[in-house]
Amino acid sequence: MKMSKKLFLIFGPIIAAVILLLTLFFIPVSIQNISEGTIQRAALSQSPKVFRGMAVKKAAFSKNYVPFFGSSELSRMDSLHPAVLAQKYHRNYRPFLLGAPGTQSLVHYWGMKGIDDKLEGKKAVFIVSPQWFVKGGIAPVVFNYYYPKPEIVKWLLHAKNNRMNRYAAQRLLELSADHSSVESKGIARIAAGHPLSSFERTYLTLKSNALDREDQLFSTVSLNNRVQTISRNERFLPKAYNLKQLDKVAYTLGKEHTTNNQFKVDNRFWDKRLKHNYKKLAGKQKNYNYTDSVEFSDFQLVLNQFADKNMNALFIIPPVNERWSEYTGLSMPMLRNFVKKIKYQLNSQGFNNVVDLTDDGNKAYFMQDTIHLGWRGWLAADKYINPFLTKKQPKVSYKINNYFYSKKWQQSQSFTN
Amino acid sequence: MINLQPYENPMYFIYLFVALLPIIIAMLYGKKLHWYQTIISFVFLVLAFGGVKWHEGIALIAYIIFEMVLIGAYFYYRQKVNQTWVFCSAVVLAIIPLIIVKVTPAVYGHPSLIGFLGISYLTFKAVQMIMEIRDGAIKEFDPWLTLQFLLFFPTISSGPIDRYRRFKGDYERKPDPQKYLQLLDKGVWYIFLGFLYKFVLAYIFGTLLLPNVGKMALTYGGISWWLVAYMYVYSMDLFFDFAGYSLFAVGISYLMGIETPMNFNRPFCAWNIKEFWNRWHMTLSFWFRDYIYMRLVFFIMKKKLIKNRITIANVGYLTLFLIMGFWHGLTWYYIVYGLYHAVAIILCDVWLRYKKKHRSKIPSNRFTKLLAIFITFNVVCFSFLIFSGFLDTLFFHNIATLK
Repeated sequence: MKMSKKLFLIFGPIIAAVILLLTLFFIPVSIQNISEGTIQRAALSQSPKVFRGMAVKKAAFSKNYVPFFGSSELSRMDSLHPAVLAQKYHRNYRPFLLGAPGTQSLVHYWGMKGIDDKLEGKKAVFIVSPQWFVKGGIAPVVFNYYYPKPEIVKWLLHAKNNRMNRYAAQRLLELSADHSSVESKGIARIAAGHPLSSFERTYLTLKSNALDREDQLFSTVSLNNRVQTISRNERFLPKAYNLKQLDKVAYTLGKEHTTNNQFKVDNRFWDKRLKHNYKKLAGKQKNYNYTDSVEFSDFQLVLNQFADKNMNALFIIPPVNERWSEYTGLSMPMLRNFVKKIKYQLNSQGFNNVVDLTDDGNKAYFMQDTIHLGWRGWLAADKYINPFLTKKQPKVSYKINNYFYSKKWQQSQSFTN
Repeated sequence: MINLQPYENPMYFIYLFVALLPIIIAMLYGKKLHWYQTIISFVFLVLAFGGVKWHEGIALIAYIIFEMVLIGAYFYYRQKVNQTWVFCSAVVLAIIPLIIVKVTPAVYGHPSLIGFLGISYLTFKAVQMIMEIRDGAIKEFDPWLTLQFLLFFPTISSGPIDRYRRFKGDYERKPDPQKYLQLLDKGVWYIFLGFLYKFVLAYIFGTLLLPNVGKMALTYGGISWWLVAYMYVYSMDLFFDFAGYSLFAVGISYLMGIETPMNFNRPFCAWNIKEFWNRWHMTLSFWFRDYIYMRLVFFIMKKKLIKNRITIANVGYLTLFLIMGFWHGLTWYYIVYGLYHAVAIILCDVWLRYKKKHRSKIPSNRFTKLLAIFITFNVVCFSFLIFSGFLDTLFFHNIATLK
């Protein structure tokens, strides 16, 4: 009997752990109730766990949170940042920041996939960075860093055979590092227009359960806490919303923070990111081209999703700091062409709320650094965001055109209405 | 066909445990299932070297045939004659495949066709056998057992490096259930400690921290605090990754009743560099000690090439660490890494001799002990920074630009 006792001491804890883990992962009941405080923290955290998770987003979008899609500019949290303005002036919405360095159209598309039902008829703000539209679109490493596994698994179980799904699956295959898992086999089937096998379906249903559980349990653990940052930044703002006074505040703050360099970029950004190597970057962007990119079709996925869910989105195209673009040689005619192209893609399909700020790159303290909106830039954006979100908007009607998924459009240089 | 890399993910352990279950049960009843063990070894070898890696599988088979013939031929020769040049030729022949695999990427810029995962460790085992055959320590040639030893699958890809005679003892011994229970207990503990090391700590250091710290260090360029951070993060990653892997290999061996030697013994608690090498990648450093350093030192003394004992030891260290450097690969930073450690050990010896002479004047207390550990730790971490190749990227191939 001694042996069995010893064996129990060796394997007992493992068996107990395995049983606990399996129950936790596979019981198909939701465990957690997400509090208002957690939603607020998640909305400001810009954490990949939140982007790829579904539980918090679902909770948030059932309330008054509005998705703000974008990338690194969303982390420029000065006093005029949309999250600060919404809170200070007690607006009827709160931004849910969906964007961090490197998040481009594909990340946003997948970020919406698992929460379909909560997006129906919602409004959204979408900041389109021209810098996304490089030849190859999002870099594979970046995409894999944000890899939206829970969404992909959920989507696989429901994906119909249409152009959007085939294109999305094709892009996943191109970008993903994983080629042997059951998921990637399923993705390959969708890309080829075939249904899943019954084994894949069962496996993915179980997997989806486990991923949901992981999401509910862990996606809100140890998030960046920016709630304080937002409150701290409120102090500088006038009591009542007054554009003239706000512009003054933005001007003063901008001036205070851009004292140590000739490009008028934020001092800290300069010290950390540019001071050491800006000399190497002179003239380096002369040949940059944002008009020939797979990103246009990735962006079409987002538009397709907006249309499917009857969402109404405000698109904002930020400028480039003019002192910087002159230094690096970035071509302004090329940038204007980009705006024309993206506007054509938007307008021709019925997306008419487009704000083009690309001519404002020379305004003082408009940009917080080289390519990211800041103080007066955020305020300029708010002039459109505020009425769009607080006032009732006319009903949307879209005509999705699959031409925008084609190579031809990605490369196209003729795009006049 | 599927390909399963050893210890790559938690699923591998589940398959492995299921496969090992009959062996475990039999051992608890005091029996060994040699034939079954051979079958599952074969299956796991096919899983590791089949599928997309089939070309490595072919290379492995060819390599094994070559080494088996070599060891067998040398054994039969040695029973009759013992000439040094034949022995030397046998050793050279045994390491030629490894040399080709190490030199090819440096010369041609692509991996060699005859390479496969774990060729170094197999070569260490083969050379060891040839040397012990010459010493007369291995008295019979058992092809089947040699094959089992060389291809013991838990340690095939990265060690620890076992010794033939020790392995033979474990393999042939009739298991004692009570003793096996202790092995099982330890084995399971090692595997779970390995999970902590490899899937938690190495993940934090290697996957979460290292890329970010590295990016910052490249952005700043030159010598920066980020480079210092990189040095420590890389060292931690290297340790937890490799120690975790070694714990898996040892733990699985224990479940099979083979007491594969440990590879790490709290190396960062070493109080000097010599002690560090007694605790870091132990089976490799002991291999180098027994089969290169000691033999070279005896050779020099026997032939009276050098008189001074200190010089002999230093020549031994330089040779040992230079060979270790070249073994890691033909790049400047591996070789500098080897030289650095040789110099560190030589200086360590100088200090130890000095300390012995002036024992009364040099304080020794808890503080000096901690200081010694601290200094050793930093000396070692700096060597790992060299080893990482990051300095090469930083100084010669830094293309960090802003996005």
